[in-house]
Amino acid sequence: MTAPNPRQGPHLVLLAVYALFVLAAGARSIVQIATQFDEAPFAYVLSFVAALTYAAGWFAIRRAAHGRPAFARVMLWVELAGVVVVGTLSLVKGDWFPDATVWSDYGRGYGWVPAILPIAGLVWLHRSAPKEDEAA
Amino acid sequence: MSGALTPIAWIVVGYALLVTVAAGLGVALKAPRPGWLDQLAWMLEVLAIVLALGALAALDEGRPDELTTHLGYVAAVVVMMPIALLSIREDRGSWSSGVVAVAALATGVVAVRIMMTR
Repeated sequence: MTAPNPRQGPHLVLLAVYALFVLAAGARSIVQIATQFDEAPFAYVLSFVAALTYAAGWFAIRRAAHGRPAFARVMLWVELAGVVVVGTLSLVKGDWFPDATVWSDYGRGYGWVPAILPIAGLVWLHRSAPKEDEAA
Repeated sequence: MSGALTPIAWIVVGYALLVTVAAGLGVALKAPRPGWLDQLAWMLEVLAIVLALGALAALDEGRPDELTTHLGYVAAVVVMMPIALLSIREDRGSWSSGVVAVAALATGVVAVRIMMTR
């Protein structure tokens, strides 16, 4: 299999969802940090970190679609780790989160899309990666 | 919330779901993106603009508790679909319909959020 066509393919949908989450998580965290930071500083900073992660994820998938998947291989695992760690912490250490983050309860507030997204990205990356015998 | 805004918002939600299903079918059938899907998407954009104008007009009746968030949703409901369609303007492949599906679904969700924050 060759590198994916950067103009066509399922990565277009991934890019659209990532862009959406940059907007959603970024706008939400910026408003919360600007207007009510004292209420749940840890949660709001984590939401901002999530927004930055989605921006990096968008960039990583775009690079991967142009045949440079190395950054995406790292970034998607980082994003998945973030969802799992923050999601688990929000369940076992609820008092750390007076307000929800984007990744609280594994992204339940966003229909669990935050948990599904990095997995979908990793599946796409795996399927679009050149096979070793073809690459040789 | 404003009496007139609720029906407009629900029309946007219902129509957004219709566009989402139509676009999702395009992906499932692996069909090139048809021209009529673009027309459906632009019609949804017109409805979203009507909703945004209605939401702005409703501010005269009283400010929402979370005004910044509400205005953020109003802005988002207007800009999402044009950005999505612009990003796939040179691509008629089946996966470009998926982008329309994502944007339409997001428009519906944001329309609900506009009602909730009003």
